[in-house]
Amino acid sequence: MSGGYEQDRVPAGTIELEAATRSFRVQADAGRTLKELVLRSGARRKGVRGPEEVWALRGVDLRIEPGETVAIVGRNGAGKSSTLRVLAGIVPLDGGVVRIGGHVAALLDLAAGFSRDFSGRENIMMGGALYGLTRRQVEERLEEMVAFSELGEFVDLPLKAYSSGMLVRLAFAIVAFLDADVLLIDEVLAVGDGAFQRKCEERIAAQVAGGSTLVLVSHDLSLIERTCRRTVLLEGGRVAADGPTEVVLQQYVRLLEGEAAPVRGTDHLAEVAAGTTGPVTGEDEA
Amino acid sequence: MSSTSASRPSDLKGHGFLFQQLVQRELRQKYQGSVLGLLWYLVNPLLLLGAYYLMFGVVLKPGFSHPAYPLFIMTAMVVWLFVQQTLPAAGDSLLAQAALLRKARFPREIIPTAVVTVQALTFAALLAVVAVLTVAFRGTLGFPLLLLPVVVLLLILFVQGLALAISGLHAHFRDVQPIVGAILVPWFFVTPIFYRPTDITDQSLARFALEWLNPVAPFAEAVRTILYDGNVPSAETLVYLVVVSALALGIGAALFRRLQRDLAVML
Repeated sequence: MSGGYEQDRVPAGTIELEAATRSFRVQADAGRTLKELVLRSGARRKGVRGPEEVWALRGVDLRIEPGETVAIVGRNGAGKSSTLRVLAGIVPLDGGVVRIGGHVAALLDLAAGFSRDFSGRENIMMGGALYGLTRRQVEERLEEMVAFSELGEFVDLPLKAYSSGMLVRLAFAIVAFLDADVLLIDEVLAVGDGAFQRKCEERIAAQVAGGSTLVLVSHDLSLIERTCRRTVLLEGGRVAADGPTEVVLQQYVRLLEGEAAPVRGTDHLAEVAAGTTGPVTGEDEA
Repeated sequence: MSSTSASRPSDLKGHGFLFQQLVQRELRQKYQGSVLGLLWYLVNPLLLLGAYYLMFGVVLKPGFSHPAYPLFIMTAMVVWLFVQQTLPAAGDSLLAQAALLRKARFPREIIPTAVVTVQALTFAALLAVVAVLTVAFRGTLGFPLLLLPVVVLLLILFVQGLALAISGLHAHFRDVQPIVGAILVPWFFVTPIFYRPTDITDQSLARFALEWLNPVAPFAEAVRTILYDGNVPSAETLVYLVVVSALALGIGAALFRRLQRDLAVML
């Protein structure tokens, strides 16, 4: 079973999910080695059931218009990060379709894929390439990116020499200048110092003002209030609420309070215990 | 289901720069900060060639002889070295670049292909050295040399097919790369490098097996025929090479397409 990822069949900046479905299984199911595969097929014959499916998206229909600013909230494991990965085309759907108009830039795993042995400048080239730019396009933006990152002379040093804050600045600088029609941001703004965070927010606001669509996953409610006019609440892979941020956030807060009373995070623990040793495959707990 | 084809990031155009960056990174990363740098790519195989020659040409005197025996060995050995170095490297490639796979949407084939490209460049450089030496010493300058690029191209396509299959399989089953590593050892000895099948057996069945059952053997023998003998490989050899590389590439690419779907989630 597989779903579709269609690019440029809708106007630039539009995002459309249609009956989008995606589930994950707990890691051990993947049969990492032949030995496990053999053992697993043996277990199946004896009628032992595999780990349960965790639904990230379960028949979700969603349409986001160009220029909208949308936050996705939900409890841990509700499928927020997976949704972003689906929108970015990194994780395929099991069923349904996702349609994206124009160029997508996803700020996921910000510093992932950087090479510590190479300079900031070289990593900018690689980063740009990863997002589908040509050499010329990266070179045109290079100076802007370097200036934005405030790395100064460090930009020519290998990443080994960088602090974690510098890594974040470099990573954000790359994505900030991709001129994407759709910006997908996962929690990453929480890192870096306050001044740089504000600068990033301003840059994002400028891009939104220029017509880009923003989809943000975050636990930072005040950041959501500042940047997003619409909020989608995911619950068990379904859209539990979708509307103006101030309304949906209230509902979200009630949801959190409701579950906070007994023992917080038990559902995640239960998931791990019921499943197996491994983490959830989608690493979908942000 | 109908839109499955559109769901696959298979569009290579627009990702040429990424491919180029990966090749560059791969080339440089390995030996960055070392004095010889990229030359290590040539030094290692040359040392290996020298060691094998000492072992099989000097220490263990075989019961047959070929003039300019080091060249006889080398012309087949370069082909083997390309296969031997590429397959394990490709097997590991998706795991090594898992962070990139999780970060952006691009055709996953780029990653093993970059590894094959780097190894193919090394192979081409080494082959150039061997070719110049062999042609000079053996006086085999002639029109058969025109076939060398064709054979090399077919070999690269053949290895690319295997690399796609192995990298995709290894991402799913972590035993694949060790298995490949284990197979390479006996595979080396059944590949006619230090000998020709006629040197070691009179049995036509054994000879047939040595010549045709191992797909690397016809490639090695074709290169040797062109460089060392100065002859054109037989028609059946050329047909065999075309068929085997097309098969490897076709099956490897199809397999990879099936296996690449959930890479960002699995790795």
